[in-house]
Amino acid sequence: METISLDIRGQICPACLLITLREINTYKTELRAGNACLVIRTDHRDATRTIPGTVCAMGYDITVTNRKGYYEITIGCRK
Amino acid sequence: MSRRAPERSGGKEDLMKSNERLKRYIREKVNQLLSMMGTRPLDPAELDDNSLLGIDPIGIIADSFGQILEHLEDTNRKLISTKDQLQAVFETAGVCISIVDPDLRIINCNEMQRKLLVSDLNEKQFVGRYCYEVYCGNDSPALYCPAIETIETGRPVFIRDIKKKGRYFQIVTSPLKDREGVLQGVVEVSIDVTEKKRAEEGMRQAEKLSAIGLLGAGVAHEINTPLGNILGYAKMLLREEGLTGEQKEKLQVIIEQAKRGSEITKGLLNFSRQSNPSFRMVSLNDCVQKVLYVLSAQIERQGIGVIKKLGAVPPVKADSFQIEQVLNNLVINAVHALRQTPGGLITVETRRVGDFVETKIIDNGEEIPENVLPMIFDPFFTTKPVGEGIGLGLSICSGIIRDHGGAIRAENDKGQRTVFSFTVPVASNDGFPQ
Repeated sequence: METISLDIRGQICPACLLITLREINTYKTELRAGNACLVIRTDHRDATRTIPGTVCAMGYDITVTNRKGYYEITIGCRK
Repeated sequence: MSRRAPERSGGKEDLMKSNERLKRYIREKVNQLLSMMGTRPLDPAELDDNSLLGIDPIGIIADSFGQILEHLEDTNRKLISTKDQLQAVFETAGVCISIVDPDLRIINCNEMQRKLLVSDLNEKQFVGRYCYEVYCGNDSPALYCPAIETIETGRPVFIRDIKKKGRYFQIVTSPLKDREGVLQGVVEVSIDVTEKKRAEEGMRQAEKLSAIGLLGAGVAHEINTPLGNILGYAKMLLREEGLTGEQKEKLQVIIEQAKRGSEITKGLLNFSRQSNPSFRMVSLNDCVQKVLYVLSAQIERQGIGVIKKLGAVPPVKADSFQIEQVLNNLVINAVHALRQTPGGLITVETRRVGDFVETKIIDNGEEIPENVLPMIFDPFFTTKPVGEGIGLGLSICSGIIRDHGGAIRAENDKGQRTVFSFTVPVASNDGFPQ
């Protein structure tokens, strides 16, 4: 499975959400088919609330992991 | 009327104003959309107008909404499919299921519940009505209603052997709560245990009969000998010469009473069935015809009508003498029940039910009180006047049918008729419809 990485550290909402949504829209086919997952790195705490809320409504699975100094948000096909 | 051309400087100003208005409009709409997605509005200090157009937030959000709609449609399809599956399981479940709201008004119920407890009402007529009215036929809830306990405690309740509309049920009620835990109603699952209960009663009856049979046989043997002696000596005395009329009369009483005692002991021996039945291929229809022929004079004397509905039933494996004894007993009981009934009618039916032949003797006489029905096959239980019956007839019938591997039952049919029915296993299927 292909991993698409996106580092948006230093960005704040709503830019974090908009950038994430743009990536999801771009890789929609691969993500829906389960051939790719999108891994986002962000240090903006609000993004761990706004991104999962919208991305779940779009039908994707999402996990948020607290790393050292940033958050890692993984978005993939719903199992 | 001529149109005046705008002045050059005024036109530029207007265009700038219009441009500002449009940019403001776009920012407002973008912020409105962002707010719908649960995030903060755009900060003009962080994102100037050129960057805003470059990011194309409306386009991004529109595509995302497109995916949300796709996902919703997909979820809707799955929900409808799951609902259909659950509905099919709900409707075809072998138990009664009903859902009532916290006021005990019916929301929904399945096919089995409608069949056993709703009677003649259609869905529009029973939905929204109180469950105790529709299912129990009462004006108010029962004292120990499990649904009320579940509403009050929010916990499941299990209750055994509740009687509703003449049938026995085991009931489990469970709370139906929404995501916030607020009670929305009660799911009531009822299992019809009427047949199981009857079978248990049959077992208890069989054990009781067996014990009484043993006792009866012993007593009958012991009493038969002295009774025979009393009868013999009384007859001898009666032949003596020089007896007064009063003495002869008293001896006759002794003889009659000894004979009656002898009849009772004979009944007891019959009840314990010391004689072995001899099973053969027997036509139940022939047995019915024979018994009705033998009793025809008595039936006609009382002006009772007889209807025979004899089906094309296969032969049964039975002792014809004993089956005729059962039929004889049941028909005579029906004749007795019709003594006070003008226009008395006895219907005798035979039909095949699975691997059994069922025989019904139905009369339109006075019904058997509900409290008497459970005891009707008990030995020495009788509703007849003293001296007319000793209460062994139906016990003997019950024992005979049990020995044949069948079942015997008495019930009131909608309060208008009394129905005695018994089943005997089929001996052969050759040439008879299943």
